[in-house]
Amino acid sequence: MAGGSGKEDLFDNILMADEKFRGEGFREGYERGTRRGFQNGRRHGASHGAKLSTEVSFYYGFATTWNCLLHNNTDPKSRKRVKALETLLDLIQNCPLDDPQSTKLQDDMEKLRSKFRQICSMLNVPTDFRDYVKTAEGTSF
Amino acid sequence: MSWVRSISYSGEDVFDENADDLNLQSREWISNMKKRVKDGYVDGVDAGEEASLQLGFNIGFREGAAQTVPVGRLKGIVSAIWCWWQIHHPETPVPSSVTDLLHQVVQHEDTIMEGIRKSLENPPPSVSDVSESMESLEVDQADPSCRGEGCNNAGCCKRGEQMDLDVPHQPQRLSSGSADCSLNSGESLNVLLQRCMDLVSEFGLPPELISHIQDLKKI
Repeated sequence: MAGGSGKEDLFDNILMADEKFRGEGFREGYERGTRRGFQNGRRHGASHGAKLSTEVSFYYGFATTWNCLLHNNTDPKSRKRVKALETLLDLIQNCPLDDPQSTKLQDDMEKLRSKFRQICSMLNVPTDFRDYVKTAEGTSF
Repeated sequence: MSWVRSISYSGEDVFDENADDLNLQSREWISNMKKRVKDGYVDGVDAGEEASLQLGFNIGFREGAAQTVPVGRLKGIVSAIWCWWQIHHPETPVPSSVTDLLHQVVQHEDTIMEGIRKSLENPPPSVSDVSESMESLEVDQADPSCRGEGCNNAGCCKRGEQMDLDVPHQPQRLSSGSADCSLNSGESLNVLLQRCMDLVSEFGLPPELISHIQDLKKI
């Protein structure tokens, strides 16, 4: 019987060793994977964040400028435009741009874009800003 | 590993004629345990990656977003001035001072985006990636010139271990690099902001606009 319990001990030892080595590898791998995942996530996040922020910041600069340009005009047409501009600026302020996981972000972006298009048609200017750049290139070269 | 040996030799009836057999078993045991370590490692890498990917994404997202705020806003401002001119002076073409500025702001933005895109496509090589591929090629084990402790051979097993220690420094190097970059682009952004403020004064646009542009320096 003594031999039998010895065998069991050996068997336990083997199982424990199995787990111990697996665990050691896992911990080492986990550390490495954490670093790699973090860096990969950070790079992808930076790319997405920069793209989205470029778009929203453009709307913000555009709306702020038009707000300044039209602010002192009292005619009803200008009032209406200023109101739309202020709505757009409010939407931007409340957009959860610092939280990419927010479910509100996508909805807010859609609202922002449609508000911007509406403002462009009110101001009678092209919606796609690349049109300006194209024209800018066309006149400067 | 002393306990591995103790298990291997725990049998009391070890006779010399079984030595080869035991040696074989012990080698098999070691190779099995190495495989366990490897399996655990692979699972660990996956689990670690999964656990940290979203956190990294969120942090990177905010960093990337912060990088393009001033230039994006400036682009919006210059575009609006461009539109304003077209509406108010329909018969005169938009002055080249405006179109040139718009063009340069767009270029500046492209440079920033390009930098971000490049670091996405060509991530700085992680030394642990290199040492891992060396490991998978079994360079360290197969290299017959390796003499353990005293080995000076480049690309040998010891070197791989030392290089792996460098990995935690990588993010620091990364961030110091991007700090240099933002310093340069910060200077050229200031030039563009100044030119935009000059235009606002030149065209007699509302002075509040100047303070909006000035605010972009503080971001």
